[in-house]
Amino acid sequence: MDDDAHRSVGRVDDAEAWTVLAYLISGPLLYGGLGWLADRWLGTTPWLVLVGIVGGMVLAVYVVWVRYGAHDRRPPSASS
Amino acid sequence: MSALLAASDGYEAPSTDIFWQPLIGSGQWAVTRASVVMVLSVIGIGWWLLATTRRKAVVPNRSQFYTEQIYGLVRNSVARDIIGSQEFMTFVPMLFAMFVLILVNNLFGVIAPIQFPTMSRIGFPIALTLVVYVTYHAVGIRRWGLGGYFKHMIPPGVPGWVLVILFPLELLTYFFTRPVTLALRLFGNMFAGHILLVLFITGGEYLVFSSGVLAYIPLGIISYIMAFVMTLFEILVEFLQAYIFVLLTALYIAGSLADEH
Repeated sequence: MDDDAHRSVGRVDDAEAWTVLAYLISGPLLYGGLGWLADRWLGTTPWLVLVGIVGGMVLAVYVVWVRYGAHDRRPPSASS
Repeated sequence: MSALLAASDGYEAPSTDIFWQPLIGSGQWAVTRASVVMVLSVIGIGWWLLATTRRKAVVPNRSQFYTEQIYGLVRNSVARDIIGSQEFMTFVPMLFAMFVLILVNNLFGVIAPIQFPTMSRIGFPIALTLVVYVTYHAVGIRRWGLGGYFKHMIPPGVPGWVLVILFPLELLTYFFTRPVTLALRLFGNMFAGHILLVLFITGGEYLVFSSGVLAYIPLGIISYIMAFVMTLFEILVEFLQAYIFVLLTALYIAGSLADEH
């Protein structure tokens, strides 16, 4: 049973890679979109849309790291 | 297929027109090839599952064995491993039905007299995705309450000021990007695969039989070989896409249920 549990944890980690795509699309889409709107409003085309896309990417990678990267580090720090 | 080839005007590459095939009637209420294939798949799956499970033997015969293999794949490798052994059985019927439906409809893309992947019409993936969409939100709201569900979307251990820019991202992901990518992934793979096969097959047919240029015939044979290779590749893609669809469905349900706090 213990063996079974270990294997399924590995499987879930593999499978979660597929959900990452949605975040990587959402980030640039949302903040790039907001940047585009702000550009039109402030007349700063194309700077804010660029900042938004790059910032959105960074944020998306951060979410992925927090959500899925943290699993490996949790057991050692559980005692603290 | 040969209707695509204008005999005197040379070769006409397949376009998106090949996906719109009304059989009865016309316009938006037409009975299309895709809907007939879908109905056919439901009848076929229903018959197969009833036939192979009516007399359940402890030592299964061959057809019961195949059904159990597919059921086992969805039940154990997808539902149990991802949703967890506590709650997975609730979702197995839905996941299994979806997997078999998508798999059979995808495989119809290469099965000889049918040769039309239903999921290459976007309406079918959208309908399936709506079921998934309603399910994982309903499951999450039932578990955590409406406010709790939104709170649940935020991963733990994020500093306060980041939450302000992170929460909109999570909202967009949960309510927009997830369903859109789920539907588009299935649709796009089936659409592109079908158009590729039609291109190689009709292209080969034109080069070998209709072009009238002797030097084109070897090229046409290469095109036919490519059609064969791509057909094998398509079978892999068709299986993989059915699997990924239910895998993601299970992951989204698991995400709505999981206790991360």
